[in-house]
Amino acid sequence: MTTRLYIFFMAIAVAAAQTPVAPTPQTAGERLGENVSNYNIVNNFETGYRFHEVGGNLAQYRSSINYGNGIRLLGSSLSINSRDGHGALFDQLVMATQGLGGDPYAAATLHLEKNRLYRYDLSWRQNDYFNPGLVTGGGSGQHLLDTVYRMQDHDFTLFPQSNLSFFLGMSASSQTGPSLSSIQLFDSKSPIVPLFSDVRRVWREYRVGNEFRVAGIRVNWMRGWEDFKDDTGATLLAATPPLTAFRSSDPYHGTSPYWRAALFTDRKVLNVNGRFTYTSGRRAFVVDESSAGKVAAGPENRQVTTFGNADRPVATGNLNVSITPGSQLTLVNSTSVYNIRTLGNSYFSQLDNVTGAVTFLNYNYLGIRTVANSTDLNYRISPMWDLFAGYQYTDRKIHSLEQTDFAGQTFATRSEQTNVLHAGDLGLRFKPWKPVTVRVSAELGRADRPFTPKADKDYHVLNGQFQYKTKKIQLMAAAKADYNVNSISLTSYSSQSRTYSVTGSWTPGAWLTLDGGFTRLHLYTIGGIRYFLNQQPAPAQDSVYLSNINTGYFGARFALKNRADLYLGYTRVQDVGDGRDTAQGPGFGSPLAIFQGVQTFPMAYQSPVARISVQIHKKLRWNAGYQYYGYRQDFSLGQSFRAHTGFTSLSLSF
Amino acid sequence: MRFVALCVVLLAAGASSFAQAPANGYVGPAACRTCHPNQWATFYKNPHFKSVASGKEPPERTGCESCHGPGQRHVEQHGGKSTIVAFSEATPERVLDTCLRCHSQTLSRANIRRSSHTQNGVVCTNCHLIHNPTAPRRLLAKMQATLCYDCHPDVRAQFSMPFKHRVDEGFMNCTDCHNPHGAFAPTWRMAAQPRMTAQAKGNEEPCLNCHADKRGPFVFEHAAVRVDGCGNCHVPHGSTNSRMLKRPVVFTLCLECHNGAGNFGRQANGVFPLAATHNLADPRYQNCTACHVRIHGSNADATFLR
Repeated sequence: MTTRLYIFFMAIAVAAAQTPVAPTPQTAGERLGENVSNYNIVNNFETGYRFHEVGGNLAQYRSSINYGNGIRLLGSSLSINSRDGHGALFDQLVMATQGLGGDPYAAATLHLEKNRLYRYDLSWRQNDYFNPGLVTGGGSGQHLLDTVYRMQDHDFTLFPQSNLSFFLGMSASSQTGPSLSSIQLFDSKSPIVPLFSDVRRVWREYRVGNEFRVAGIRVNWMRGWEDFKDDTGATLLAATPPLTAFRSSDPYHGTSPYWRAALFTDRKVLNVNGRFTYTSGRRAFVVDESSAGKVAAGPENRQVTTFGNADRPVATGNLNVSITPGSQLTLVNSTSVYNIRTLGNSYFSQLDNVTGAVTFLNYNYLGIRTVANSTDLNYRISPMWDLFAGYQYTDRKIHSLEQTDFAGQTFATRSEQTNVLHAGDLGLRFKPWKPVTVRVSAELGRADRPFTPKADKDYHVLNGQFQYKTKKIQLMAAAKADYNVNSISLTSYSSQSRTYSVTGSWTPGAWLTLDGGFTRLHLYTIGGIRYFLNQQPAPAQDSVYLSNINTGYFGARFALKNRADLYLGYTRVQDVGDGRDTAQGPGFGSPLAIFQGVQTFPMAYQSPVARISVQIHKKLRWNAGYQYYGYRQDFSLGQSFRAHTGFTSLSLSF
Repeated sequence: MRFVALCVVLLAAGASSFAQAPANGYVGPAACRTCHPNQWATFYKNPHFKSVASGKEPPERTGCESCHGPGQRHVEQHGGKSTIVAFSEATPERVLDTCLRCHSQTLSRANIRRSSHTQNGVVCTNCHLIHNPTAPRRLLAKMQATLCYDCHPDVRAQFSMPFKHRVDEGFMNCTDCHNPHGAFAPTWRMAAQPRMTAQAKGNEEPCLNCHADKRGPFVFEHAAVRVDGCGNCHVPHGSTNSRMLKRPVVFTLCLECHNGAGNFGRQANGVFPLAATHNLADPRYQNCTACHVRIHGSNADATFLR
């Protein structure tokens, strides 16, 4: 019975997500594991060969998919539990890995726990982060990255279940690998020259904290230290007129120690919790750049040196008060404060044999203070009807100072502005029948002075959702509309997004699961633009962007008793644009061809997948799968790719 | 006198009827095991087994009855969902109250009662399967992303895009950026929505947990990044556009703000417009970040050129 239930739930879980074809969700070995001494052990290891073949744009493939060839430990899991809760060193050990041995997305987690004494969690992740850069007018863009992100987190808790517990933690991440950047020297008419960089970034955080209980209030504090180092420099990839030589070194190091304190309670009638943080970040930097080239006036040699430091103290606070006078009503008032000040100075010195020497000192300050207060009400009208409503007031003040000391003179620009937002929301939840839930909600906001022309100003959001959920059938339909109008003096920015989704899954038994869904994401934005064309201004025009993205998926899983599993799936994403056949017009807004050519961006991305898993022995399964990826951009040549990927593997348990 | 006599009679009758109702006491997990052997067989792997292993917890906080309530009546009446706390029949409030008796003692769940999930009737047992979890940790009913996609199909669609954070690939989880148990209000932005966004340590945007190189501080901040956040230019889940930008071509994205239109920016006289040298007919000026390489912030140049 337990096994049948497990397979049933696994069936739902497997069919409801179309993840990459490997690792295989089915595991080898006894689900209940084996008893060894006072412990129970469950384990599964899947190892095999992954292959791929790519046609078309390899860089785009590496950016979107990036699976390669080779032998991998595709996935593994190990759990060891003490059977009486009194293990010698630990009571629970859970370890899982994925993609070790060369997959672009690799991860490992470890959880170790001894009841009442300690808990330790480790997470390690690696991402081969490849990005071919932004695309302009069909050509490859700049800023290619072929780097690796590595991240790890360690968290140790002493006495995790007591009223006095202690925390120790460490996190680290790094980004390393080659990249391409670009620079334009010596004037704005010069060509843009590619630069090579060896990316070297390291971030580390150490933290220590404690939680205790006093008079029914839990107090949680943490002290942390963050360090960041970026030692990425740049050199010239190849001599490209006008540049014949270039070298830049710009180390950027600093630390951000922080305090965090929180108080919270969980009482039925009156509940108060708060969180307060203070972070004092500081970074020091040096830029040492030398370049040589030849311009119309003759050979030019330039040396640029910049150094200084930047500070950012951040103080934040949250305070929530909840009142639940009865079982039907909950009132919550939340206040949040955010005070951030970024200030720094940068000494700039340039020596140039053509233009001479220039030195100046910059001092910049940007302060943001935001205070928000919201009140939310939840009222249960009847077992069938719930009502919720809320109002929020936000006040933001931005201070700024931009100052330059040059040739004994000081040029400074000070500014200060405020922005107030009033927002309210209202919603209903209706549950006429146990499996059925209907939710509708609306939010309306009015801001008096947003910071940018496309920030939320006069906006409203409408949400609706219908859900039917039983053990065997799940159906859902959802709709969301988000409209924002930000009137400006130039023209007006307007964005409309509407999302419609329908999904469903059916699991008649452990032998079959079907699921599928369709989502339409509609986005229509108009932004006021002003630009220059051959030194002549082109005033007050519109930039239009229209996207109609249809996303559909279907999955079917068949199981032959406990012997074999077959999964078939298909996902398709297609932006149908505005229906035009070619990039150039007929468009809207700006008459300039380059704007009309980017108003819509039709593309298609599809991925059928098939996977089979056969049990050879109780402790051994054979798995194989194939997944195709097809990516096509209609208006941008040379970006499309098609890829055949697959694997074959053995899952074993010992 | 007659009134007092009446009260005495009524009280006696009430006491008598109360006495006739079966008393409901605690029977201990051994009794539950008799009829529910499957649940018990693997219960030692369940985090809730700690209460049994401890041997020091009072009956109302031990094993099955710590969640399902006293079981004596259930035993005496040979089962039935009405004689015990059955979570399949319980209201969301009842489920939440029961779980929070023990699980409120964590900062990450401090806001669960005011979270959007609770507001919409989504409580613990909607995501956690106590007796037959699929995921090895945290008793999740399904693998995390799949679980979230059930109610957020539009998010699932975004993660199906060609440019996305690697959630489906298993590199990331939804909880890297969101707190499904309810987060404190995001302090770094104007509106309190969305409420489920987790914060980085200093109450900053969760993006900065991984993208530490974008955090700064920089002498020359790109003010829009600091004031309105990463979502100004990027779609965090996934997009059809490279680098998850909101627009497929970068200059259209920049020009939406950098048009000099009045009333915006630091000085309220518009966001820094294009200089006349930027001839947009020339492809060189159509990819702004080719020159403005430090677009997230710079220490050496006010216009992010180096």
